[in-house]
Amino acid sequence: MINKSSDILEHLGAELQKRARAPSAEFKPDENTAMPAELRNWLVRLRLLEGVPFANLVADSELLPQESIRWFYMDRRWTDALVQGSLSVGTVNSDDRIQLDAQYSAIRAELDTEERNVRRSKGMARFAGQPGPITGFLLRSSAVSGWPGLHVRGFNVDIDPEEDDDPFKENDPRKIRLLRLERLAPAVLLCMFDGIPKVVHIEEPRQGIQFGFMHKDSGNKRSAKLRPRNKTNFEYLDESGNNDVDVPFRVGSSGVVDIRRLSEALAAHPETGAADGLDSAEYALQLIRLPWRQVFGEIEVPPVSAMFRATIDYTSMVNATFRL
Amino acid sequence: MPVGEGKFKLHAKLTPPLEAGLWRLKADQNFEAETPETALDRNDLRVDQEHVYLRIRSPRYVLPPDQILSTYPPANSFGSYGSRLPQVVIKRRTLPWERRLDGAPEETPWMALVLIAEGEAKLETGVDVDGCVTAGVELEGLKEVAKGNCLIAKRSLIHRVFPTKRDLDLLAHAREVDIQDTELMMGDDDGFLAVVISNRLPLPGKDENGRDAPVKYLACLINLEGQYDVLPDRSPDPAPIFVTEFPTKYFAVQKHYAMDDHMVMGTALAPADMDINPVDLAGLTNPVPMATVSNGSNTTQYQSAAAAGVGAKPYAGSGQWSTASLANKTSAEISLQMVEPFRIVDTNKAPRLDPEYRFPVLLHWSFTTTGDTTFRSLMTNLDSRLLGDVGNASKPLSGRLPLEVAESGHIGLGHQTREGDRVRAWYRGPLVPHPAKSTSADRLKLAHSSDQLRVIIPDGREDLSLATAFETGRLLTLSQPSIIASLMRWRQADYQAARLHSLLTSNRGLWEELLGAGFEKTDLHKIGPMAGRFFAEAIARNPELFLGNPRARVSPGRPLEFKGKANNILARGLGLNPAIFKGDLTRVFNGLREARVPRDDFIAKDLKLVDIRETLGTDLDRQRIDLVSSALSNELLKDHLTGPAFPVTDRLRVEILNDNLDVILHEPAPLDFTDEE
Repeated sequence: MINKSSDILEHLGAELQKRARAPSAEFKPDENTAMPAELRNWLVRLRLLEGVPFANLVADSELLPQESIRWFYMDRRWTDALVQGSLSVGTVNSDDRIQLDAQYSAIRAELDTEERNVRRSKGMARFAGQPGPITGFLLRSSAVSGWPGLHVRGFNVDIDPEEDDDPFKENDPRKIRLLRLERLAPAVLLCMFDGIPKVVHIEEPRQGIQFGFMHKDSGNKRSAKLRPRNKTNFEYLDESGNNDVDVPFRVGSSGVVDIRRLSEALAAHPETGAADGLDSAEYALQLIRLPWRQVFGEIEVPPVSAMFRATIDYTSMVNATFRL
Repeated sequence: MPVGEGKFKLHAKLTPPLEAGLWRLKADQNFEAETPETALDRNDLRVDQEHVYLRIRSPRYVLPPDQILSTYPPANSFGSYGSRLPQVVIKRRTLPWERRLDGAPEETPWMALVLIAEGEAKLETGVDVDGCVTAGVELEGLKEVAKGNCLIAKRSLIHRVFPTKRDLDLLAHAREVDIQDTELMMGDDDGFLAVVISNRLPLPGKDENGRDAPVKYLACLINLEGQYDVLPDRSPDPAPIFVTEFPTKYFAVQKHYAMDDHMVMGTALAPADMDINPVDLAGLTNPVPMATVSNGSNTTQYQSAAAAGVGAKPYAGSGQWSTASLANKTSAEISLQMVEPFRIVDTNKAPRLDPEYRFPVLLHWSFTTTGDTTFRSLMTNLDSRLLGDVGNASKPLSGRLPLEVAESGHIGLGHQTREGDRVRAWYRGPLVPHPAKSTSADRLKLAHSSDQLRVIIPDGREDLSLATAFETGRLLTLSQPSIIASLMRWRQADYQAARLHSLLTSNRGLWEELLGAGFEKTDLHKIGPMAGRFFAEAIARNPELFLGNPRARVSPGRPLEFKGKANNILARGLGLNPAIFKGDLTRVFNGLREARVPRDDFIAKDLKLVDIRETLGTDLDRQRIDLVSSALSNELLKDHLTGPAFPVTDRLRVEILNDNLDVILHEPAPLDFTDEE
């Protein structure tokens, strides 16, 4: 007579077997890695220059004047030194240093991979492989402080700025992912790309939908124009502005739009839907203003020698030293 | 039909099935019945009329904050809003059409968003709702709230600024967005929103010299109920003009004796000081009581004169204004603060006999329009270069040395050496103007101290970039105790791993037998659980080898055999001399009293017996094997490595300590030695 509870035990054995043999499909933070997860997270953040004092990034305010954007490549050697400095805290004796020497290449390779996965959105595949260059820009402008929540996108193909605003999905290879987008100061924005973008879009934040006109000032007066749209497809009737309607204002008060007269003026263009009387939805449609998008890309880059105004002739010496 | 992400649909109006107010629902039921015998009509089967009273509530004096999805321009913001119409987005899609305006066409919105510049009209807060409307106007129905805010506007202002009767209809519409689209949804629940647009552009001001001056505007969502007739029928008649003038800014001349000094000396509280941050002044200017206004042809009274200072540039640099003081306040306080400049009205230019009207204000917020910088103008005029390129524009002379910058992006900085010499060194941050090589051959070799990374370049100066980076990383890490602890734990774990490795290699044969060839490749941390599973698996495969049948709860015991005299049996059972039970009772009792009771020495004596030792031997052997294996595993795994490593270990150990005696006693013994004979 075999033990009555043997079936339970058999089941237990199968269960254990299953669990022991199950391939580890998901990445666990602390298995088969060169360093513990908390350390890795810290080093990856260091690698992306989080917490590094701004004076260490830009050593002189003349390098980043007001109302300027400055593009850069990331110096891997500098960030390597940063990581090495951080790791040196954990080495006490020469034994530790020998051990760190043995592990360092694995640590660096892991950080190279992990820093690409920092802003990976949920559900995306992990990035792996050798790291490409990291680039980015520093933007110092009152646009950063006055328009919080700017949209920044980078592409490695030319994008027609008139096209759809976000033609690629987040994981599309043509889209350059952002590694970091952060305001370092109220008016200074730091952005880092995982790759070298060909085109960068910086777009006004869309605080809902805005209504308004195109304005023009002359002296103490302001005039405004409205470019009528086709009410069925939202296209402008005439891109060149031949059909623009002057916005009538109420006499004797500043800025008050004479809406009825505006709708009468629009009635001259039946495509706007104003011919049979404008209703409030059609009126709103005419007024919608799209956020402005600034496109950076394909700038005529002058040769390096023309870009810098070296006060002393360092060229040959610097080239020899830094092997440029 | 879903709208689609990124798209939205505009509706001219979404009218509610019932307007707000009190409703009575009358229900009548008529029954008739026919049977073969008789017919019953409705009088025979009468059902009472049912009256249901409904109250449809709708905000009337105050809009609950949770109904407001967004306002544009943002409240309390500074910006160039001069070509954008203010708007408010309301969650309740039918709200603008929920009440009826007497005298207005059907389905005219009962609310309007009016935009008031500083000094044009007065906003009173915390007024009893009866006082929120012009005297003589009575709003029927429910009041909903006890106190509200009200806007007091002169008739002349209404004619200049308020929408006309014909405009009203165009200024409210409904918007339908896709509920998946978080950007357009803005937190709504059903994807339908009501939007009310203003009819006025918040133009920036010009001062008397024609320079840009910021203007503070107050946007009020007002209730027009009962006062539709006050609105102008249509815009004034002169032919439409296509230009509009900027509001001219005046400076307040406030007559207040305590202020005289400031006025004369131009000190902190004097109005129109150039670069004074309005937020800094808020605490100073607000409580100043107003005195009589000095006469002047172009005088506007208002309090925060500094806010309109000539050329006050809210964007001029980082940290110039701060909302920190606002962040600590409640929204009610903030909204009160926003009203502050709108408590006083310019009365000088007003015509006489200009009647005042009061409108309940459902919602109000204020913002400041500054000069003419737009996002577009800022972005298109950006100076776009590589970092390290300072351009060709000649810098104005200043006290400092010109920037020394090399093509590689290095800049020269003053450097005081450890010897105290003042020299110049090269420094370059992590952001460089040239593509950085990133092949592994170009990467930095591991350094253990920052001095290893100091480089002297041929011009004799030091390049301290990498050394600075090393030191920065070190100091940043030292500032994080948790990271230091983590580094130390990591170091410790590495030492333990090394020790484990040496243990494994020294007993290679045993481990290969246990774990199979190539065991070094398995994660050493897993050996404990793996061994545990290995044993459990073996048990599960062949339970009969490891596990016996469960022991019965109750056993019949062994039959007792009686051979010989009862006296002898009794004596042997008690371990006594049979002779003691012979004779009369007194003798037996005396004998029992004197008999020595066999006690402790029983086991010690019996252990010498060979057969008992054999009996125990097998058992002890088994225990010893278990002990050795568990001790081995403990040695291997230490405490922090185990977890459920050896589920059997502890149990065995406990049994060894407690149950040796039991094992001995329960062992079946030869018959002639039983104590049950």
